[in-house]
Amino acid sequence: MPGVVTVSDLRTGYGGDDIINGVSFDVHPGEILTIVGPNGSGKSTLIKSLAGIVPARQGTISLFGENVTALKTPQRIAKGLAYVPQEFNVFRNMTIAENLKLSTEFLGLRSHDGNQERTRVLEMFPDIADRQDLLAGNLSGGQRQMLAFACALISSPEVLLLDEPSAGLSPKLVIEIFEKVKAVNELGTTIVMVEQNVAASLPFSDRAIVLVNGAIRHESSAAELSARGDLHELFLKEA
Amino acid sequence: MGQLLINGLGTGLIVALPSIALSLSFGILKFPNFAIGAMLTTAAYIAWSLNIHAGLPLLAAGALCIILFPMVALLCDAAVFRPLRSRGPVTLLVASMGLSFVLDNVCRLIFGNDARNFDIALSRPYRVWGLRINYELLVSAGVSIGAMILVFLILKHTSIGRAMRAVADNPNLAAARGIDAKRVIAATWILAGVLIAASGVLIGMDRAIDPQLGWNYIIVCFAAAILGGLGNPAGAVFGALLLGVVGELATLVVATNYRSGVGFLVIALVLLSRPNGLFGTREIVK
Repeated sequence: MPGVVTVSDLRTGYGGDDIINGVSFDVHPGEILTIVGPNGSGKSTLIKSLAGIVPARQGTISLFGENVTALKTPQRIAKGLAYVPQEFNVFRNMTIAENLKLSTEFLGLRSHDGNQERTRVLEMFPDIADRQDLLAGNLSGGQRQMLAFACALISSPEVLLLDEPSAGLSPKLVIEIFEKVKAVNELGTTIVMVEQNVAASLPFSDRAIVLVNGAIRHESSAAELSARGDLHELFLKEA
Repeated sequence: MGQLLINGLGTGLIVALPSIALSLSFGILKFPNFAIGAMLTTAAYIAWSLNIHAGLPLLAAGALCIILFPMVALLCDAAVFRPLRSRGPVTLLVASMGLSFVLDNVCRLIFGNDARNFDIALSRPYRVWGLRINYELLVSAGVSIGAMILVFLILKHTSIGRAMRAVADNPNLAAARGIDAKRVIAATWILAGVLIAASGVLIGMDRAIDPQLGWNYIIVCFAAAILGGLGNPAGAVFGALLLGVVGELATLVVATNYRSGVGFLVIALVLLSRPNGLFGTREIVK
């Protein structure tokens, strides 16, 4: 099956060190692909590289068959990608309304009618819909995450990249967030998410990749990975 | 006392404009632009040339300077800062020092060291409740307040203003929202250029124009921006007004030579209790 996102031999990192060491994988249309792994395995670096925030040093990233490796983040966003960072994922000094408005203003032809788009996403996130004059910095962690989702979805992206959407949330909110991720996926958006919370995220995922020390250690269906009894060893054993 | 208050507010309003420019460039471009003093000098000389050599009335010369100077600011960015953008704030700060010397000496080379004045008619000050209010002070106050309102309307109610605030807050998230940093940087230089040009003209109305003009304001601009909280334009306005008023009121108790010192004492006291300035927020580094 051709991938909506195809990553080939990707090598990237910060400073003089490579964090991701020659990773290759495909993201299939309409799936939720979850990348799990221990702390420091390079999950966030990998997803930032897909979003164009950390440039690739080697290899290619293709979106719908088009090589986007050299494109910067705004250009990838214009091609149908959306990215929600792990933390600091809303503009804290702006209101909810301003955050949403900003998300429609720089998308060129992808956003014909900002108001219509805002109304559509607010229907999906009623928690934030009736408090639009509130500063985003004053929202709870769960509400901030909802606003970040809403801002990313306002452009109706084909592919949504999520960096640890459950980070810092209470167990009840974690399930709510993953239910929302599933609902967004069921509307046709392909999702790639990086997660530390393996137990909570896999039931909502179609496929999973285990990343250890910047390399893929395991790739299978999420159900198959969930069923394995040796997750601990898979995460921790030396390569 | 009332007269000192008026004079202090007048000084503060003139200094507020470059302080906002400094605060914007720090917040969005992420470096303290040391060349702001030399840019003030350059803008004042451009307006002076248009006024004296081109024979334009000061109002027209000032307006044309405000239109032209943002192009100078963009040129400075393209020639000096853009090639060094990825090198970090210290490199950019040092580059801005270099630019400052270049601009100062270009002005010196073209216009010489002699003090210059705008072709401006002398006018008798107005008297209101026993207070003397100069025509220049009224113009300065009007232009400064107008420019400040314009800046805040742009930042709050336009898409480019929102984009500028977004990039200042979180550049990576701004990129993820499709905001092109190049466009925001250009807009920042244009806005800073307008503010610097307006302030250069107002300072030229207040005192003689010479190659040292900017040096007399650079410290107080930095002080105002730091006092208000670097990166916070509204804070910079408050800082400039506070420094202007405190500096003037200080002359009631100390010799006029020491009034700047009193202003800096206020800054030291404020920063001891609020290290990020009066309206600054603590930066979270992850």
